[in-house]
Amino acid sequence: MKIREITVVSGKGGTGKTSITAALAASAPGGLALCDADVDAPDLEILLHPEPREEHAFIGMDTAGVDSQRCIGCGRCRDVCRFDAIRMEGGKARVDKTFCEGCAACTLVCPVGCIAMEETRQGTWFVGETGFGPMVHARLNPGGENSGMLVQLVRKEARRVAESRGLGTILTDGPPGIACPAISAVTGADTALIITEPTISGEHDLLRVAELCRRFGTKAAVVLNKADLSAQGAERIKEACRKEGLPLLASIPFIPGVVHAVSQARIPLAELEEFLGPTWDRLKGL
Amino acid sequence: MAERPLTVAVASGKGGTGKSCVAASLLVTVPGLLGADVDVEEPNLALLLGAEAISSSLVEIPWPVIDDALCDRCGECVKNCRFGALLMFGGGAPVPNDLCHGCGVCSMVCPRKAITEVGRPVGEVRLCRRGDLRLYEGRLHVGMPNPVPVIDAALRAALAEGRDLVIDSPPGTSCPMVSAVREADVVVLVTEPTPFGYADLDLALQVIRELGKPAMAVVNRCDLGDADIEGLTERYGVPVAARLPFSRAVAESYAAGNPPAATDALWRDAMVTLWERAKEMAGR
Repeated sequence: MKIREITVVSGKGGTGKTSITAALAASAPGGLALCDADVDAPDLEILLHPEPREEHAFIGMDTAGVDSQRCIGCGRCRDVCRFDAIRMEGGKARVDKTFCEGCAACTLVCPVGCIAMEETRQGTWFVGETGFGPMVHARLNPGGENSGMLVQLVRKEARRVAESRGLGTILTDGPPGIACPAISAVTGADTALIITEPTISGEHDLLRVAELCRRFGTKAAVVLNKADLSAQGAERIKEACRKEGLPLLASIPFIPGVVHAVSQARIPLAELEEFLGPTWDRLKGL
Repeated sequence: MAERPLTVAVASGKGGTGKSCVAASLLVTVPGLLGADVDVEEPNLALLLGAEAISSSLVEIPWPVIDDALCDRCGECVKNCRFGALLMFGGGAPVPNDLCHGCGVCSMVCPRKAITEVGRPVGEVRLCRRGDLRLYEGRLHVGMPNPVPVIDAALRAALAEGRDLVIDSPPGTSCPMVSAVREADVVVLVTEPTPFGYADLDLALQVIRELGKPAMAVVNRCDLGDADIEGLTERYGVPVAARLPFSRAVAESYAAGNPPAATDALWRDAMVTLWERAKEMAGR
């Protein structure tokens, strides 16, 4: 069976990505698996309340570790590191794991061989059960590295779960931005659903994330949220969608009830209901 | 005696809480500040300020070039590259791909010194201006995976001016956010009282505590939601410096590209307070 993955992204944060993903999950026409790939700020669980089933450590790239007993403080590792991840403290090298990319250049130059690459836990990933289907989600350790790798991992696991249960759709809540986590989230997805808002920043960020999707060969479609906050802004988004050939699947006004629902950790299903059916229909028609 | 310049980073765990609104409002309210937009994936600060780019410089990372005549296909570079960024096809010399991080390991290990490096553009730093207001904007090229070199370049350019500086940071809590705030004297965390805002602020506070930075919080749209932000920040010993209610007028003027403080007195007053408290926290 062909599984279809829809990844919800936004470029700009705070456009309503997670609220809309949750409402789409709750109104899906067929069975689906869920995936929260915003591993930096994983909020989908707040609305979907998955019951925990599995918990696993996320081991990212190996990172450098210094045996400070043997370190002679020569600083060659610091000089060769292009990621500014090594500082000399008290005459010893210290690796800042947030910035270590795991290239191992430092291990190659250490004259006493006191730096080794070591397995590094960068976060945790989970499989849970929601009322709408299984959900794979994760949490990168705060200040962590390799979020793109973790995004790939949760997507792969969501696909595995969908396959084993015979579910035809994966709905993925993606990260904001356009760099490695966003690239990892849209690459290979069938559709990128871009949530935007009628602001000049919303428009600017929409165009950048749409270009990213084009480059990585992922078909994109748009939902305009909080559409009535600016009539002029909404017009500009519609014009941009026409020019870029991006299907505009729905225009949702600013609904205070959505914020109230989210505040109670509740899916804004009733509040968004009239927009969800048509969005799913148009998604299927793409 | 001239005081040391003050650097304030405006950050948030969650995107869309009003980070750029606070940064832009500080810049239009407090005279003499310089700006740095290091949300290089989606830079919006110049847009909000109506500032035009007056100059631009490329940001490059090192990119390996393999001399086909010198290379004897030993495969040492391919074996040592931990990113899978060098691949050999047929009988040809290895070819680099987009996974390259520019770490330099391949040229270090090549026994025949067949690998040199050239600069590969990954983004740009623009100097933008509107009247007396100036800011450096980092802008990642679409398709490039690593924002950190562009963040660093924009910060270096801004810090080199030696002026009071406001940094608009990227959202999240991973390496881009840490790169943006690690040079700051004080961090301002912008949040909203929803469960999302609360959860993401908790993660951001953990990072800030780890970095040992003095911080304060701004609760934006403080009337839209009732999550106990004060209770959370108190646990980290971080004060709430301002609470700003939702205003449709502010949202509409933001949509049109005006920072809230340009149209709203409440925001202006809050920005004055914010800057004063940042100075106190940094001991200026």
